[in-house]
Parts: sequence; structure tokens; C-alpha cells
Amino acid sequence: MRKVLLAFSFIWCLALAGVAQAQAPEAAAPPPAAAPAAAAPAAAPVPITDADIKGVASPKAEDRAQGDPAGTLTGTSADIPVGDAKVGMTVGDVVSLVGQHQIAINFVWTLVTGFLVMFMQAGFAIVETGLARAKNANHTMMMNFMVYGVGMLAYWLIGFSIQEGGVGAVANLGGTAPLNGEFAIHLFGKDWGLFGTKGIMLGGATYDVGVMVMFLFQMVFMDTALTIVTGTAAERWKYSAFIISSFIMGAFTYPLFGNWAWGGGWLATLGSNYGLGHGYADFAGSGVVHSIGGVTALAMAIIIGPRIGKFRRDGTPNAIPGHDIVLVLLGCFILAFGWFGFNPGSTLGASANGNLRISSVAVNTMLAGMAGSFSSMYYMWMRYGKPDASMTGNGFLAGLVAITAPSGFVNPMASVIIGLIAGVLCALSCEFVERKLKLDDVVGAISVHGTNGLFGVIAVGLFADGKSNYGGSWNGVPGSVTGLFYGDAGQLVAQLIGVATLLGFVFTMSFVLNAVLEAVWGHRVTAKVELAGLDIPEMGALGYPEFALKPEPVLAD
Amino acid sequence: MGFVGLIVTFVGFLLAASSVGIMSSTGGRMGLVLVGIVMSLVGILGIINPAYQKNAVWKK
Repeated sequence: MRKVLLAFSFIWCLALAGVAQAQAPEAAAPPPAAAPAAAAPAAAPVPITDADIKGVASPKAEDRAQGDPAGTLTGTSADIPVGDAKVGMTVGDVVSLVGQHQIAINFVWTLVTGFLVMFMQAGFAIVETGLARAKNANHTMMMNFMVYGVGMLAYWLIGFSIQEGGVGAVANLGGTAPLNGEFAIHLFGKDWGLFGTKGIMLGGATYDVGVMVMFLFQMVFMDTALTIVTGTAAERWKYSAFIISSFIMGAFTYPLFGNWAWGGGWLATLGSNYGLGHGYADFAGSGVVHSIGGVTALAMAIIIGPRIGKFRRDGTPNAIPGHDIVLVLLGCFILAFGWFGFNPGSTLGASANGNLRISSVAVNTMLAGMAGSFSSMYYMWMRYGKPDASMTGNGFLAGLVAITAPSGFVNPMASVIIGLIAGVLCALSCEFVERKLKLDDVVGAISVHGTNGLFGVIAVGLFADGKSNYGGSWNGVPGSVTGLFYGDAGQLVAQLIGVATLLGFVFTMSFVLNAVLEAVWGHRVTAKVELAGLDIPEMGALGYPEFALKPEPVLAD
Repeated sequence: MGFVGLIVTFVGFLLAASSVGIMSSTGGRMGLVLVGIVMSLVGILGIINPAYQKNAVWKK
């Protein structure tokens, strides 16, 4: 079997090399043909007048009354709203409608992709529940269910204001001008934005259609970060402690880093202030969403400790398999579906400002997920002799996590490379976390979201190819985000500062807040409750009340 | 020791963040940021986690 796999890997490498060769620029392209000596002068542009507009034919009312089975009479100049009926349709009416259509397209795009991201909660819920034991199914599911409501409440109360309260106008959404308050300190000769101040409970001037779109989209992202932690601490986390911890994370920990990266804070301005590329660039949140969730999960795993029975007295780990691998892989598919909202939706629009790149972002996303699942499956097959299903699913998610930050800045080849690395990195990290650190991460969230989130942030600084153009600038720096491999070492430094912030600041903040909660409230259920399963003691009902679960006899080969 | 680990972790962040003010060259900044990252990793994996592992449930 290993020979077959080795042969397959050789073919895979050849294929990659072949594609890379095919994509390399031609070394000796022939010079372009000389331009015609006497090209015809371009005609001067003729402005459109109101008279031209009035001359546009509209379908007659009697024709419309007959119905429109071919669809040729519906959606014509007759449908354009007129500002003054006495004057009739003017150029101003048409131009205003074009502007509103652009914003409407962007609104619909951002909202619908936000709905897809919201659906990822369902994916996380069944992945985590499937990887937990049946005796904790209700408890694990309820944590994933209520993290949505708890996080949203915290984010509405204060979190959104901290994160986006100073972001200013977002061109794709027609301007979110009421979000114009950023608290900053003056350091090293520049302003360092720390947190936003507008938008508390969406009141005052932030009762605005553009702000509402922004809130919905950012809220579902925040909730994704929160639900990562529940996977690591499953099967032993006191439900009340989970509620408090998640509220704090949604209100403060996530929004603070979110502001620095996406709300106009100091990380975003590293480019404009200090010449480090385009500042910290995180297209859809490998760092903001996944690494925050991952490093907080790491802090929780240290504080709460492993499940009883996870490690033997000599420190070697026991495998505690989940109760339903079908749920796990189905959940991974749901997450991958939601990721088509997560990454392409992060353009915050589909019209104008280079937003047609949503197609490239979507393809990058699917390619990296595929590559991640493939490389992790392959690694496990080679190392342990079987293509482990749960690790294949985690590799799939790891590829998606790693491409989240670079998805808007890299080409398809880089996406596949990033995904391949992410899949193996996930498997190696899972082994390291369990065997070296002696930490119990029920779903592998530290590795999937933490390790690969950080890798995704770094990947921007390496693989960004300088071809994207979102309105001509990023983070206020003209031009395109370009990584080290394409000539900009400064971008990599900005990304590394983001990594240092996630490890040094976000981890510390998460650890301190949860350590205080441990001291005053306690995170962990009693040993008796843990051994019995958390469903009855914590939730009052079993996840599967009609099933008597007993071990199956193991049959010899 | 857990508290010491937190301090080391946080100082790693401060070092990386202040690199933009301390250094002007890209190489110098990158070096300082990498030192900061290593410090934070040492604080988390080398100090805080071992401190908590002393009382791990599986050792009881």
C-alpha cells in the first residue's frame, strides 16, 4: 500500500510542477507588433442629455397587459422611478438609479453571504457534537446553539462598537459614515487606533441601512470565533461558565483585535504609518476570526485541563473517539458551504471597486479546502496505515482556515500550496498538542483554527501576488497587497506583527479573563458529573434518551 | 510560574509591536518581531503550560 501511495505522491508532485511550469511567464515572448502609423483619432465623447433619455422607447401599457412570457417587456426604462413626473425622466434619475443598483447589489451580496456564514454555526454544532461522546451530546449541542445568542447579545451591546465604531465610510456599502469615532493614542509619532466608540446598541445615527449590513456580517463572523472554543473545552465545561466566558469574548476580546485589524486600528495602519506593505492584511479572518478562537481555545485547554481518562498516569494519551463520524463529516461539508460566504463575502460587495474578484476568492477557497483534506488524509494514511476520517475532515477545515486570510490576494496555485501545507500542519499540530503539551482538545480546534489561522496570516505575507485591486488601495495604501515572494518584505513584517499580537496579546487577555473566571466561578464540572456525562446533570435531559448505548464486541480479523 | 509566563508572553507582544518605532529598516523590524514571537511562544508553551501541568488531573 505504501508503494502505491508513494507512487501517487510522485505523480502529484509531477502534476504540480507541470502546472507551475505552465503558469510561469514566457521568457522570450516576441515583441508586440508595431502600432499602425496612422490610427484614426478617437471620437470625442458625446454627453447624454435629458432629451436622449426621453427618446428611449418603453413598452406600451397594452402590450404589458398581455403578459410577458419572453421577459422582454419587464425591467425597461418604464421601471425607472422619475424624480419629477412633470419633467419626466432625466439623466439624473438614471444616474441615481445606477448608484443605488450598485449599492443594492453589494447589500444583497453581503447579506446573503452573511446568512451563509450564520449557517456555519450548524456545521460547527454537529462537528463538535459528533466528536464528543453520546453522553454529552445535548450539552455540546446546547453550547453551540446558545453561543449564537450569547455572542450576539454581547456584540450588540458593546462589541460591535469597539470593533467597528471608528471604521468610517465603507465605499461598497454606500458609506457607513456614522461609524466615525476611533479612540487612539499617539505613539512613535503616529496615531494608534485602539477601539471604536460609535454604534453602541446600534442607536443614534448608527440606525443606518449601511451600518445594519455591516453589523450583521461582522456579527456572524464574531460568533464563528466564539464557537471554536466550545469544541476544545467540550465534555467538561460547566454550562454557566461557558455562558459568561463567551459573553466576555464577544464583548471585548474579539472586538478589540477586530478593531485593530478591520476597524481602522493600529494594525491596519502599519502600512500608511510605517511603510509596512499595506498594513496587517487579513482578507476574511484567518487571524481575526480563527486565530482568536484558536488561541483562546489554547488558553481554555490549559486552564480547564484534560478530560478524565484522556491521559494515562505516565502521560501517554488515550484515544477517546467521537460518537458519530457521519455527523462530523456532514458538518465539515456544511462548513465548507458556509465558507463560500465567509471568504467571497468579505469583499463586502459584488459590484465596482474590483469586487468581481469574488470569483477568484471562491475558487481559492474551494481549492485550498480540497488540498487540505487531501494532504491530511495522505499524511495519516502514510503514518498510521489508514486514512483517518476525523483528521481528513480537520484537514479540510484547516485548508479553509489557512486560505481565509490570503483568499483575496493570492492565485489558485498558491491556494493549493497553502491548502497542502495546512493539511499536514494540522495533523502535526494535533500530535504536538496532545503528546508534547499534554492538552486535551476534543475537536482539534487549537490546531485547525489556531495553528492554521496563524499560518494563513503569514501566508498573506508570502504568497500575495499583487494582482488584486479593491478600489485601488488596501488599508489606505495605494496599490495591491504583495507578499515576500513577489517582492514586498514589509508586508510579511506587518503580518508577523499580527501573529505576535495574537499570541502575545490575545492569548494573554483570554487567559487572564478565563483564569479570573476560574477563580471566582469555576470552569469545570465535578468528576462525578463528568463521568456520568453532562447531559442530565447540566442540561436535565439526554441527547439520545431512547437509545441504550453499549459497546459492541470487537471481532477478530 | 504561571504569572511569569504571562509576563513573558505579553512582553513578547510589546517587543513586536514596538519594533516599528525602535527600528527603521525592514530587516531590523522583522528580527525584532521574530524575537517577540519566540518570547510569546516560550511564555505560553514553555512556562504557563508546564506550570499548569504540575497539577494535571491524570497525575492524581
